[in-house]
Order: sequence, then structure tokens, then C-alpha cells
Amino acid sequence: MGALSLRDISFRYAGASDAALQGLTLDIPRGGIFGLLGPNGAGKTTLISLIAGQLRGASGEMLLDGVPLAEARRRAPRSLGLVPQEHAFYPMLTCRENLRFFGGVQGLGAVRLAERVAAASAFARLDAVLERRAGELSGGLKRRLNFAIGLLTEPRVLLLDEPTVGVDAQSRAFLLERIRALAAPDRIVVYTSHYMEEVQAICDRVAIIDHGRVLLAGALAEVLQDSARSLDLREDGTLRYQLRLNAPADLLQALQAARAAGCEPVSIAYGERDLEQLFMRLTDRSLRD
Amino acid sequence: MLRILTALWTKEWLALSRDVHGLAVLFLMPAAFIVVMSLALSDAFKEGARVTDFAVLGSPKLAERLAGEGFRAVPAPADERLARDELRRGRLGLVVVLPAHYDGTGPVTVLADPAIDALQLLAFRERLLGAALGIDLKRATNVSVEVIGSPRPARPSSVQQNVPAWLIFGMFFVVLPISALFIVERRDGTAARLRSQQVAFSLLLVGKIGPFFVINLLQTVLMLAAGLTLVPWLGGEALSLPARWDLLAAVAACTSLAAIAWGLLVAVCARTLEQATVIGGVGNILAAALGGIMVPRFVMPGAMQAVASLSPMAWALDGFHAVLLRQGSGSDIALPCAKLLALAAVLFAAAAWLQRRRG
Repeated sequence: MGALSLRDISFRYAGASDAALQGLTLDIPRGGIFGLLGPNGAGKTTLISLIAGQLRGASGEMLLDGVPLAEARRRAPRSLGLVPQEHAFYPMLTCRENLRFFGGVQGLGAVRLAERVAAASAFARLDAVLERRAGELSGGLKRRLNFAIGLLTEPRVLLLDEPTVGVDAQSRAFLLERIRALAAPDRIVVYTSHYMEEVQAICDRVAIIDHGRVLLAGALAEVLQDSARSLDLREDGTLRYQLRLNAPADLLQALQAARAAGCEPVSIAYGERDLEQLFMRLTDRSLRD
Repeated sequence: MLRILTALWTKEWLALSRDVHGLAVLFLMPAAFIVVMSLALSDAFKEGARVTDFAVLGSPKLAERLAGEGFRAVPAPADERLARDELRRGRLGLVVVLPAHYDGTGPVTVLADPAIDALQLLAFRERLLGAALGIDLKRATNVSVEVIGSPRPARPSSVQQNVPAWLIFGMFFVVLPISALFIVERRDGTAARLRSQQVAFSLLLVGKIGPFFVINLLQTVLMLAAGLTLVPWLGGEALSLPARWDLLAAVAACTSLAAIAWGLLVAVCARTLEQATVIGGVGNILAAALGGIMVPRFVMPGAMQAVASLSPMAWALDGFHAVLLRQGSGSDIALPCAKLLALAAVLFAAAAWLQRRRG
């Protein structure tokens, strides 16, 4: 069982016709970085918001080390940190004032607060801009401030919801390197992103979700290896059959069988795959609004 | 708990101190209204304070005898035609036209400006009659009048009306900075982040109340100071200070709580800054127009006065007048304060309920 266990989670927004999450079950272990992937509207942010306690009213169970998550958070209120998609800080305050505020509302005492502000700003390399107003920072610095705020309490569960959106290549590389450095045996780090190369670069385990359900989950290396041994049969671009192959020799046999059934292959994709190919195959290629 | 509140209060102070427009609305706007309205309406609030200029054609001596008690003699025009012309232009209020070779008998005509008050006209006629009868009007002013029975309720002077009125108006305008910051927090995701950090909504509410309560008390001190120093310095009447400062503080505190609660409800209801500005701003202006802030209630007809008493700003004004105007006691402010506190409780509860309902 994973450290963070989500069991049969369903959630529907008020007034919405479709459920955002439909019986989602997922185990997220400690150690490493857990990548949560999915197209727009797949339910990633809803899931993160439910884990963070921003949304309520989901059915199912959320357990942290076997204890209901809400109860675990009551026992240790500072155990969870969130880095949301939005620049969730006060633009009229300086970086230091923002860090002190978000540390203060989590009950950090004066000495500990000063220590943590220094540590988080050093980790996100904000020292040089601590006295600047947050609203005046560049996009990359805003992302780093957003990130640093999430680290103030040294959370055991860290949720990163697309933390690199809208930043330049240098800032992204820096943030990814910092996030990778957060992986620790006693910490759960959940990372959501649209960028497959990011996930492939820093995550140890992944889950691909769509329409509120888990399509695939596991260690990244296994997932990629596993998908490399399958042959997809599509009709008009839609996946009809997926054949699992034990050896490359089986490929020839499968093609002969397909021809005998009247199917003429248009293209063959078999062998080593990257995450993006896998993602596109699983979530289909239709545009999402 | 105290650490969280300290962090919330510090943040509110820092945010407010950097909101120049918000500070202007809270401090400059009511101060400007107090000075302008106190000076502009200084004569309108004095009963009989208006001085009417008059002239007597052909008898400067009679003009001298008629002058006094709100009537000022001015040099007479050369003839009746010019006098009528002056009246038409509003330069004169009254002109006495005597027949040629007037010896105390014969018809006397008074030409009057149509805008002149009927009571003033009657008073002038009486003075003219007295002069014709040979009564020394200067000595007649020694006659004093004693009102028997309960006098009608005290009316405020211009500064007594305008200082508390525009102070209340300014206090209720905390609705704008409260709702603006609240909506920005919701829009930018800081409210959601605070929720993920398990900061209770009730604490967020208390975090707003503390700083804005102090702002409202600061407004009270500064607006009273404006009435005490700025208005007389510019030529108006000085505000008389209350005998009981504790009662004044109580009325200000109750008004503040009602104003902040109103601000929080608007902040929770409005989804955008534009909505908050319209609901909060227009709501305040309507409550002010209705509650005797813009137009004193004593000039309103009876039916309108009854409607006006529904406005929370009218309750607050009653409380301030009880202290500033009538130098009243605790029992005099009890009812307006109770109404304001009850309103504050209802608005707080509504804001908390709506917020919980929205999740």
C-alpha cells in the first residue's frame, strides 16, 4: 500500500453534468517524485485540490499511512505543502513579507519563521529580491516565490501543480533541478505537468489520468518498457485493439493475422517509446477544451 | 492562534498602507465632504440666520429705524423703476415705497422678492407697522421670548450635522478596500492556498475586522479634528466636543462593526471587483441619501423620515447626535448601538454562511 492511498475517489462540481473524478484509485509512495499526467480537464487539479483540502465533498477514501488524510492533517497541520498553478501570493507585499505571512499563518514562531524564510528563499534563490514587491518580479521569479512559499514548513507531503507554467527555459531547468532535489525517502512529492519531457526527466513514478480515471500507473521505467511491447490496431485513428507481444517474432505473426482478417496496416509503431507517445495513445488525440 | 492573527493583521496593514486610492477614499473623501458641506450649509442650518437686504425710497431715516434682526438697510435706488429692476435681479429682498411727502399716514407699498420667506415678509411688515406707530424698534428687541413646555427636538448646526454624517459615510466605505482585497485573494488563489494551509475562514474574518476597526477609529479621531480645527480655520463654526468620550467611542465602535460586516458580506457575494464597487458604493450612497447623511432628516417630510429610520447610517447618526448634539447619556445611545450591533451580527452570520455554502 502506498503512503498516500486514494480509494475510489469521486467528485462532481456543483451544477456540473459530468463528474470530475470517477472512482479514481491511486497509491502514491514515499521517496522520489510522482508525476501526475493528464490532458486539460482530466481531473489533475481537482485531485490536487481535494488532497490539499481546498475542495470538500468527495466520496471515497484518502489515507495517509493508513490514517484518514483529514485526521492526519489535524494531527500535523504543517505536514502538507501546496504550490498551486496560480501565483498565489500578495503582489503588493515584498517577497520577504509574503514568506513571513504564509509562514506566520501556519503558526511558525518568530525564530523558526526567520530560519525557514531564509532557508526557503535560499533554496529558491530569492535572496537578492527579498525586499522587492512580488508584483514587480519577472515571471520566473514569481514562480520561484510561489515555490518557496510551499516549502516553508518543510512539508512531508508536497503537491506541485504545474509549477513551471509560463517560465523561460533557464527558470524551468532551475525549478526542475530544485524539485528533483526535494525527493527524499520520507517525503511524498506529487508533480503535475503538461510537459512530458519534464515528467520523464524528474519523475520516478507516473500516473496518467483522463476523464477522472486512472488509465495507467507505475514506475516510469516499467511503464515505458511495458508500452514498448504492445501493438496498437486502430481504425480511423481510434484505438480498437491493443495486442501484448512476448517477443519481436510475435510481431510478424500478428501482422499476418491482421492481413488475413482484411486489415491493411498503414503504419507500424513498435519498440522503444517515449512518454508523450504513450500519453497520446492512452488519452486519444482528440482536442480538449 | 495569536501568531496566525498577528500574521493576518500585519498583512492587512501592509496591503492597506500601500493602497493609495483606498486610503484616499477612507480619509480624504470624508474630510473634504466635512469641510465643504459644513461651510456651504452653515447659514442654511441656522434658523433666522439669513439677512435680508432692504431699501426705503425717499426716507433714509425710516430705513435706519427698520434695520436690525435679520434686516439690513442698503442705499436706496434712485426711483421705483430702478428698485423693481434690482428686485428682479435678486439684489434686493424688499423695497419700501412711500408716497410723496409721507407724513406717517397714507398707503405704504412694500415690493418683495418672490423668493423671500413668507415669515420674513410678515416680520418686516410688523416692523414697518411698529415704525409707523412710532415704536422704538431698537428698544423693542429687549423683549425676550420664553418657550413654555417641552421644546422641539434640538436641531444640529451645520458642523454638528456634517461632521458625524460624513464620518459615518467614510466609515462605511471600508466596504471597498475590504472587498477588493478579498476578491483579489480569491482571484489570485491566495484564499485557496490559505484554505490548503487550514486557516479557518472565521480566522480570516477576524483578520479583517481588527485592522479595519482601527482604521474606523482613526477616521473618527481625524474627522472630529477636522470639525474642531479645519472648519473654523476656514471660517465655519467649530464642532463642540462631547462631554462623554466613552459614549462617543461606543457609538464609533458599533458603527465600525456594522460597516465592516457590510464590507465582508459584499466581499463574499461579489465575484469581481466591479461588482463589489457597484454593490458597495451604490449601497452606501443609497443608505446615505436615505439615512440623513446627504439631506438632513429634519427637512424631510414625515413619510420620508419614517423610511429614513430604516437606514443603518441613520441609526449611527442618531447615536453620534445623542453624544455630540444633546450631550446624552448611555441610555440615549443604547437603541442606536443595539440596532447597529444586531445588524453587524446578522451580516457577519450571512457572510460566514454564504462562504461555507460556496465551499
